[in-house]
Formats: sequence, structure tokens, C-alpha cells
Amino acid sequence: MRALLIVVACVLLLLAAVLVGPRLEGAQGQFIVWQLRVPRVLVGMLVGATLALVGAVFQALFQNPLATSDTVGTTAGATVGALFALALDSSRTVQGLPLVTVCAFAGALSASLLVASFASSRHVHSSDVLLAGIAVTLATSALASGIQYVSDSRALFAATQWSLGQLPQVGYRGVLLLAPLCALCCALLLFLTRPLQAFALGEDLAHSQGVNVPRLRLLALGLGSLGVASCVAWCGPIAFVGLIVPHLVRRMIGSSYRVLLPLSLCVGGALLVTCDTVARLVVPGRELPVGIVTAALGAPTLVFLVSRGRR
Amino acid sequence: MTDLEFSDLSVRIGERVLLDGVTLRIRAGEFVALIGPNGAGKSTLLKTALALRAPSSGSVRLAQCSVAALDARRRAELIAWLPQHIRADEPVTGLESVAAARYRFRESHALSRRAAERALARVGAREYAERRVTELSGGERQRIAFACLIAQEAEILVFDEPANHLDPAQQLDVYRLLGELWREGRSILCINHDVNLLHQVGEAARVRVVGLRAGRLVFDAPLDAATLPEQIGNLFGVEMDSLQGSEQRFIVARSRRTS
Repeated sequence: MRALLIVVACVLLLLAAVLVGPRLEGAQGQFIVWQLRVPRVLVGMLVGATLALVGAVFQALFQNPLATSDTVGTTAGATVGALFALALDSSRTVQGLPLVTVCAFAGALSASLLVASFASSRHVHSSDVLLAGIAVTLATSALASGIQYVSDSRALFAATQWSLGQLPQVGYRGVLLLAPLCALCCALLLFLTRPLQAFALGEDLAHSQGVNVPRLRLLALGLGSLGVASCVAWCGPIAFVGLIVPHLVRRMIGSSYRVLLPLSLCVGGALLVTCDTVARLVVPGRELPVGIVTAALGAPTLVFLVSRGRR
Repeated sequence: MTDLEFSDLSVRIGERVLLDGVTLRIRAGEFVALIGPNGAGKSTLLKTALALRAPSSGSVRLAQCSVAALDARRRAELIAWLPQHIRADEPVTGLESVAAARYRFRESHALSRRAAERALARVGAREYAERRVTELSGGERQRIAFACLIAQEAEILVFDEPANHLDPAQQLDVYRLLGELWREGRSILCINHDVNLLHQVGEAARVRVVGLRAGRLVFDAPLDAATLPEQIGNLFGVEMDSLQGSEQRFIVARSRRTS
């Protein structure tokens, strides 16, 4: 019942996001709503939903409340890719796609698949995978610093802007590129609900109950990284959504993964779109990157959730 | 009907020897209690049977097949485990956890839940089935884990100190339940620190007590053997008294051996 209410609230938030803003009239207004706001809300929905679901799955997989897609080096890899592209030439395109997007995607995927392949080995524990993720993140960050050192100031500025995270005006084409990847990853991740539920009382017990732990890790990390890599490639690293949303949902309805995972998906989409609306409106005449808004709202929320203690 | 066979099994981590040439066969329908001092390698032995730890040499076989080579679901059909420590960081309900333990069955969630409810009733945990495991006491959590093991419906059940953290009444309950499961035809391998509790499972002559020290098997005797107090005394390095109670013999430590 409560779950249903949350879903309804999410849908209302999404609708509101399209309507909120300066008064719009006539053909121009139609254009702004249908060609600018609607695709942007759709992208926000896809990205928020994917980040939140992957966050929830990774937290279950690592049995660690702080795990997110960043933990396995996705963001760090994307950053290196983006920096590399910006240092080369930010205006170049590959097959009609911005070079930044292509490189960020490649970077994110290769960093996290490196960790995923390590995780699929038989005699490795989840805590080892976390360490491997941290190692890859540190190594990639060092690489990123190296690229920054040799870049010019224009590329550095562009890189900073990219790293704040924003929902760009990608139009319906971006939606069409993003939607199948995100939908596929999310749908397949939801199929892992049952083995993930067995993880709740510990990885070894799940193993003894018949879960193929290395294969589950490989699947979850691979799919999660693919989804997140495609989001990060378009929008840059958007902080806190993957971390906060699962905790928020857990507070509201407990952590039966059969409810937690699908609801994280809904709440994540609605939350990111709402934050983007705030980013659009908070400073009149100017847009803030949505990453700043999620971080500004996310950090206090996390502190609040933690300070109320575990239930 | 499946035998569990450890043949010349050794486990080493670097220089440390955890198990040293253990050969032990648990035939279908047998009850084997494993006793020994802390650090003797008892838990390690159980973990090799579950493919949680790989042998350095020798083999562990289930149904004539090396456990490491078994498909995970097939292994879960043959052997189930009650660990010594149960993680409870996620606020899931007991019922959800027990339903999740039915992973090996390809069945609907509704069926899993029904089986989970039966298992919870059997261990007397129905009242707190809907509470989150993070809110439960150590003893209550232990029962939830016990219900998980029952819900898995495996042929061989291995227990790592099932009476840990329990009060005397609960300890009796646990061993009586072990006896019931045994009489239903399951094989049981149970790490135990108090041989006197083993009489709760019944048929002392058919219960095998196996002593393990420093990774080696020291003795293998029935629970009612006259030599058992002496053997247990040697195992732990203590003087044992053997007292006849109204229904069973009690073996009690008197003093530490000097020399």
C-alpha cells in the first residue's frame, strides 16, 4: 500500500517537472515543452532510475551501505575518458556522437569491467572486490591528474564543468540512445532480486544455499556498470543519487529486495528530475548543474538518515 | 541417499596447517558429532564440505563427485549449513530471509513463503517472523538461520555449534530438533562443545563422536562407549569425571591435567 503511494507520488513529481517554470504560451511554448522539457525529463528519469537501482544492487552485493557505482571505478574511468576527449578536441564527434560521450563511456566501462572480472574469480570475497574497486579508482584518478597536468586551461574548464554533472539538452535522439541500454540493464538487474535477497544474511550462507556467487557478482557488476557508464557518458558524474535513494526507500518500506529494487528505480527517477527542476529554477535566468543540487540535498539527507540510527 | 567423504584432506594457509590428512566418511543417515579444542580445524572441515574453502590436498566428495565441481544448486540440494555467526546488517524480515533460503527451488515466491512459514513454525520462531533480523536477539537470529536450513530441505545438514548463545532450555530444544531431523532420514554433522547435550537426539549407540585436534582425527567412538570420557579427557588435556544421571551418563571436566 505504502509502496503504491510512493509510486503515485513519483509520477506526480515527474508531471510537475514538465509543467513547472516560466509561463509559456503559443507555438514557442509548445516547442519548449515538447522539444526541450519533455526529453530532458525523460533523460533525468532514465539516469536517476538507473543510478538508484544500481546503487541498491551494489549495496546488496557488497553488503555495504556505502557501495555505489563509484565504488567499482565507474566514475573515475568515465572522468579519464572525458578528460582525454576534452584534451584532444571537445568539438569532435564520432558517428554523430560527441567524442566526450564516447570516451567517457569507454573509460567507465573498461575501469569497471576490470573490477568485475576480478570479482568473478572463485576465491575472492566481496571485501576484496571493494578494495580492487578502490585501487582502480585511485589508479585512474592518477591518470586523470596526469592528463590534467598536460591540458590547456580551456580543456580544464570544460572538464570541471563536465565533472559537475548535468542533464544536457540531448533531445529525443539522446533519449533513444539511452533508453534501450538503461532499460535492458535495469530489467536484467531486477531478475537478480532472488539471489540478492539470499545475500542479506551473508555471502557464505548464500553460497551454501545454492547461489553461484562469482557468476552473480559478474552479472550484477557487468550490467550495473554498463547502465551507469551510459548515464555518466551523457550527464557526467551525478553524485549521491545512487547512494541516497536506496537508503531513503529502505527507511520508508524496509529492505525486502522485491520492493526495494523496483521502488529505488521509481524514486531515483523522480528524485533526479525534481533536483533538475530545482537546478533550472533556483537561480533566475541561469541554470545550475544538477550535480550541485543533488550533492547539496544529498549530503544533509545522508547525515539525517545516519543520525536517526539503524532500524 | 548421499555419503559425505573426506579423503586425506589437508588445508594449509602459508605455513599454518589447519587440517592434516583427515579421512572421514559420513554415510547417509548417520549422526556425527565433531568435538575438539578451539582452533582444531572443526569449522574449516565444515567449510570444505560446502566448497567455501578449497583443499590444499586430498578431496571432499558428495555423491561420488568433488564438491568444488558440483553445480551450486545441486550442492545446495545435497548439503545445508548452519553457520556459527549470522550476519544481520540488512533490515530484512525473518520470513523474507527464510523464503530466500529456498533459492535452489525454482518456484514462485508464494510457495517459498509458505515453506518458510512451515520452517519457522517448526523452530518456534513464528511470533517474530515478521520482525526485522536487525532487531532480533542472538538466540532469535539463530532460530531464523535454523529455519533457513530446514527450508533448504537438503539431505546432509552441517551445524557449527548450533547451541551457541542459547540458554539451557533453548539448547535442549535445538538438540531435540536435531534428533527429529535425523530420524527423518537426514545425515547430520554437528560441531559440538558439550557431549552431554548429544543424548537429547536419542539412540546414543548410533551417535558417532569424532575428536579433532590440531587438524588431525584423534578418535571416533559411539556416544555410549565406555572409553569416551578418557578419550575426551585426552583430547582437551583435562581430567574427566563420568557420572550416571537418571537418564544418561554425564561427562564433566574435573581439573586441568598437569605435566
